[in-house]
Order: sequence, then C-alpha cells, then structure tokens
Amino acid sequence: MLTRTILRAAVIAVIAAMASNGLRAQTATPPPQTFSTTIYFDYNSNVSQDGAMTGTDAAKALNNKFAFRRAYFTYENKISDELKFRFRLDADNTGNLTSTSGSKDDKLRPFVKHIYLEWSQDWLQSKFNLGMIETLSFKLAEDRWGFRSVAKTLVDGYKDITGVDIRQSSADIGLSWKGTPARPLRFGLGVFNGEGYSHPELNKFKKFESYVQIIPVGGMNVFAYTDYEKQVTTDSSNRKAMTYKVDGYFDMVKNLNISAEWFIFDNDKNFDVVTNADGTKSESHFNASGWSVFGTYKIVPDKLGVFARYDSYQPKSTLSSKDMSLVILGFDWFAWGPSARIQPNVWITSYRDSAKKSDIVANLTFLMSF
Amino acid sequence: MNTRFGKIMAGIQLLLVALGTPLLLGSQQGRSKMIQVKGSDTLVNLVQILSEEYMAKNPKTPIAVLGGGSGTGITALINGTTDICNTSRDWKQKEYDLAWEKGVKVRLFVIAVDGLSIIVNEKNPLGRLPMPAVGAIYRGEIKNWKTVGGPDKPISLYGRQSNSGTYSFLQEHVMGNKPYSTDMKEMNGNAQIIDGVLNDENAIGYVGVGYVVDQATGKPMKGLKVLNISKDAKSEAFSPLERGNIDSGKYPISRPLYQATNGKPRPDVAAFIAWETGPEGQKIVEREGFFPISPVHAAQNEKNLK
Repeated sequence: MLTRTILRAAVIAVIAAMASNGLRAQTATPPPQTFSTTIYFDYNSNVSQDGAMTGTDAAKALNNKFAFRRAYFTYENKISDELKFRFRLDADNTGNLTSTSGSKDDKLRPFVKHIYLEWSQDWLQSKFNLGMIETLSFKLAEDRWGFRSVAKTLVDGYKDITGVDIRQSSADIGLSWKGTPARPLRFGLGVFNGEGYSHPELNKFKKFESYVQIIPVGGMNVFAYTDYEKQVTTDSSNRKAMTYKVDGYFDMVKNLNISAEWFIFDNDKNFDVVTNADGTKSESHFNASGWSVFGTYKIVPDKLGVFARYDSYQPKSTLSSKDMSLVILGFDWFAWGPSARIQPNVWITSYRDSAKKSDIVANLTFLMSF
Repeated sequence: MNTRFGKIMAGIQLLLVALGTPLLLGSQQGRSKMIQVKGSDTLVNLVQILSEEYMAKNPKTPIAVLGGGSGTGITALINGTTDICNTSRDWKQKEYDLAWEKGVKVRLFVIAVDGLSIIVNEKNPLGRLPMPAVGAIYRGEIKNWKTVGGPDKPISLYGRQSNSGTYSFLQEHVMGNKPYSTDMKEMNGNAQIIDGVLNDENAIGYVGVGYVVDQATGKPMKGLKVLNISKDAKSEAFSPLERGNIDSGKYPISRPLYQATNGKPRPDVAAFIAWETGPEGQKIVEREGFFPISPVHAAQNEKNLK
C-alpha cells in the first residue's frame, strides 16, 4: 500500500514539474519544430521452395513481391532547452481491418506510435519521458544494430519469428527516467501499462522495467535489464511474468560494432498440465529464451556498410524441437546519400526439428528518410 | 537438391550484381580519402577558406566542409560520419559521456580564437555594456535600452538556435546558465543575425568577430556597431576588434575555437590540422578577422597530433 502511494506521488510530482516547466517555456517565437519521415519496403524472393515457411502453397503463391513494411511520420517540437514533444504516426503491413459489411481492408493504416513529452535536467543528466513512450528493453540493442529496416532485434522480433509472445513492445503508455550518475554508469527506470502501443490497459497491474548500463572502458558496454508484471489469474494464485536480459556492445574499433544479446522470459502462467503416473496432475513450467550476436562495419562511412547476424531461439524450454536459428547477411549502400539507401540482404532460417527444411529468403530493402 | 542449390546460387548471383555498384563505389571512395569536416557555423566560413587554400597546395587531398552547428558536428564525430568536427564551445559532459560509450577518444585542437562580439545597429548611441547587463538583456530581465543608458526603446533580441555552439557559449559564460528570453528571435546563422541587426534599430545580436569585420577595410561592417564590453559595471570596457584585448584577457567574452578528431588523426587529417594551426593557416585566420592561437594552444595541438 505504501509502495503504491509513493509510486503514485512520484508520478504526480514528475508530471507537475513537467507541467510547470511547460508553462514557463511558452514562447512568442516559433520554437524549432521538425517533421520527418522514414519508410522502408522490400522486394523479396524465396530462394528456397521447400522450407518450413517457403514450402507452403501460400508462400509459393506469394513469392516475388514488393512489400511495404513501415512508414513513420514524426513531428517533434523542441519547446525549450529542457522540454521536447514528439508525435509519431506509424503505418505497417498488418492493418487488416474488417468493416461492418464483413469485407477486409488491407490498406496500410497509420496508428499512434509515440506521443510524449521529454523533460531533460542537468541533475544526473536525467531524461523523463511521459506518454506513449519508448520502452527500455531493446532500444539500445536496436541502436547498435542500426538496421531496423532490415530486421527487428532479437527481443523485438521474437514473436514474429517464433510465434511466441514474450510481452515486449517497442512503445507503451507510461513514465520513464533515464540518467547518468557517472561516466561509466547509466540507468533507466520505467512504469508502463504493459500492453504495448496496440492495446489500452487491460488490467490493474503495471509493468516495471529497469536497466543498468556499465561502461568500464570507452566503447565497451554491458547492459543488464529486467522487468516485472503481476499476471491476472482466475484463481487466487500469485503469478508474475519477468524478463531478464543481458547485452554486450563492443565499439572499440573505429567503424566496427560487435554486439550480443541474451534474454529469458519467465511467465508463471506458461505451463503444461502433466498427468503423473499416479493419476494426479501437476504443472510443467516452461520459459522462452534466445540469444543473438551481430556485427556491423562501415566500410566507407555514409557510403557503404556491411552487417551480419546470428540469432538462436528457444521458444519453449521443455521442447527443444521448437528451437530455431536465423542468419542475416547484407550490405548497406547509401545509393543517394544518407536519405535513400539500398540494403540487399539474405535471411536463412533453420530448425532443430529435422522434419523442417531451412528457409532462404533474399530481400532488396529500400530505406528512405527525409 | 541440384535445383535447390541452383536457386541458392541464383539468389547469391542476384545479390552480387546488386552489390557490384556499391563495391566499386566503395573502392573508389577508398582511394580518394575525402576529409569530412562538420560542425560550428561560426567556423564554417573560416575552415572552408582554409581548406580551399590547403587543397590548392595539396590537390590530392579533397576536403568537404559542412556547417550545421557545434552540436551537429559533435554528433557526427561520435557516429563516425565525420573526420573532424568544428566547435565554437567546450564539449558538454553528456557529449563526453556519449563519446565514451561509443568508444570515441576525443582529441581537441584550438585553431583560432574568437572575441564574441555584441553588435547593435549603428544608429544606437550606446557604445559599451557591462557583461552582466548583456546576460540580463538575453535573459529578458532588461527589456528597454533606457535601463542601460540607451534610448527609451524596446530591445529586440537576435540569437542563434540551440544547436549552435555560440548559443551555448553565451548562455554558459554570460547568462549564468539561465534560459534565454522567449522573445529572442532564433536565427539560422551568423549572417542572419547580422541582417536582423542591420534592419532593426532596436536590435542586439551576438556573432563571431570574424563575421563583423569588413575584409577590405579591416573595420566593422557598415551599419553595425560592435560594443565594447566590461567585466562589470565598474570596470573599463574593451573592444573585441583589437588583438591585444583578446591576448591579454581584457575582453571578457573571448573563446577558443576547436576542431576535434576521434583518437590520433590519420596522416592526411593530421597534415591538414598541422597546416591550419601553423604559420600559413594562422595568417588566414587573422586575415578572416579571428585571432591566432597562443603558444600554449600551439604546444597542446602539437602534443595531440602525435
């Protein structure tokens, strides 16, 4: 009870401080405002025709196509040195809406991805974000990977690759605080609805996220993250979901980045009911985990780069036949400068289950940002 | 199996064709080794002139110079998209911290010294201002020229946008780190501030000294007045246009202008910086209205080039 009261008081205090700063920052001169857009789309072709994904009739029928994957439109307003506002619309290829007549509409549909205030303070180099904000789990890994246009990072894309929901979203409604108490130390704390940007809050429980980033030597980063959210149950059992994540980023060689991610998602609600020899039933708990190693190298900065990645997925700890891996290789060519890039890449997905053959897909990814 | 293998090979061949052009481009770029310079708008004209003269003598060393502000240059250096960044202010702690995170080892070189000039329209009868009054004006605490001994007219503030090193320098060294008045017109560059002051009798602006000197006469541009500045209300006021006032520290708002590299600069970059900070480069610095570096700066530069 006391913890909840303190938490609520802290949230209200931060909002009040941001609001007072906003009033002070109202300005007669138009503040610096920017509009920007980022779009990426592919031409993709299934190189393999008999893989677990590429061998299906649907995949064969859809082989060789252009596919829009993302279009962002961002408005940012730097209200003052301390206060910034961001509004971002996102449109992706999952916008399948059904009208009242029952017909499906496959158009790209925009939705709100970010709508937040960012308040910066010199104290601990603090940044407070309030609204529909970026979550804390994989933003740093995504920055290091730098090829969101080609693929999401391990945790971000886990559900897309394995079909298993590890309850991670790139944005959510909440409040976060990031700070730098000393040069080798960073931290982040956040409280979120826990439903991501796609849904409103569905229960009374909040998701708590935190990380510590340690940089013992310039260019050598270790990032440790954890989150916690109490789960809704139909009985009186006390169940929770937690994620533990550790990353390492190596930037000590000019133009080269090598990074690694590992995580485990442990949800008390993930279990199979097993019938024992004596006829009694018990729960066989399982979790989901994975790791990823990737490297990027700028051959000629702002002209040409190369990237490679290996992901390993263990979506069900009690069933190793579900394990799979993904290799991504490609180039980053600044064909028309930094604003328009072509990124040819290949995805090779392999499966532990020997009955499933590997999938190989070649993509020509176009990235534009203005 | 053969069919599958053939298709994989076809896919790889497609990729290689797609990659052929960039690979060629990459190798050509590798040969030319363009030196990229980005950052401060105070420095952009000076470094452009320095690079043109250097390229005339060293045609095999192409140099591209871009502005955008000190903050933009620092971000580019940290992200590895420039070889040299120009800054008209000290690096901030958070920028050093970000460089540390990304493995960027910052080496600083002082290439010129600037007397940050406080300018008014030549019709303004005021000739001097104490530094604290300049701070109070830009904080919006003094709104009428009459308060500081001028005419009974409202003060029009002209300044830079927050990505400018000059904006940060004035805020840190003159305004006591307090926010700018919300009435200040935020201009894109030094030239826009000068235009604003030329066309507004009630204006006050701040620009690098190199921007206010008419190269032909060596005097301030027609239509502008450069104010003498004193440390406080009781002290003597000095002009930024005289080198002696800068060297002796009598002019209170002078500043070093920097270039920075990631670690030890590669040989062609080091040769360019050595030339800029050497006798030939410093003559151009002086000719363009800035002040040459001191022996202390020169010794530090030499150490950082090794």
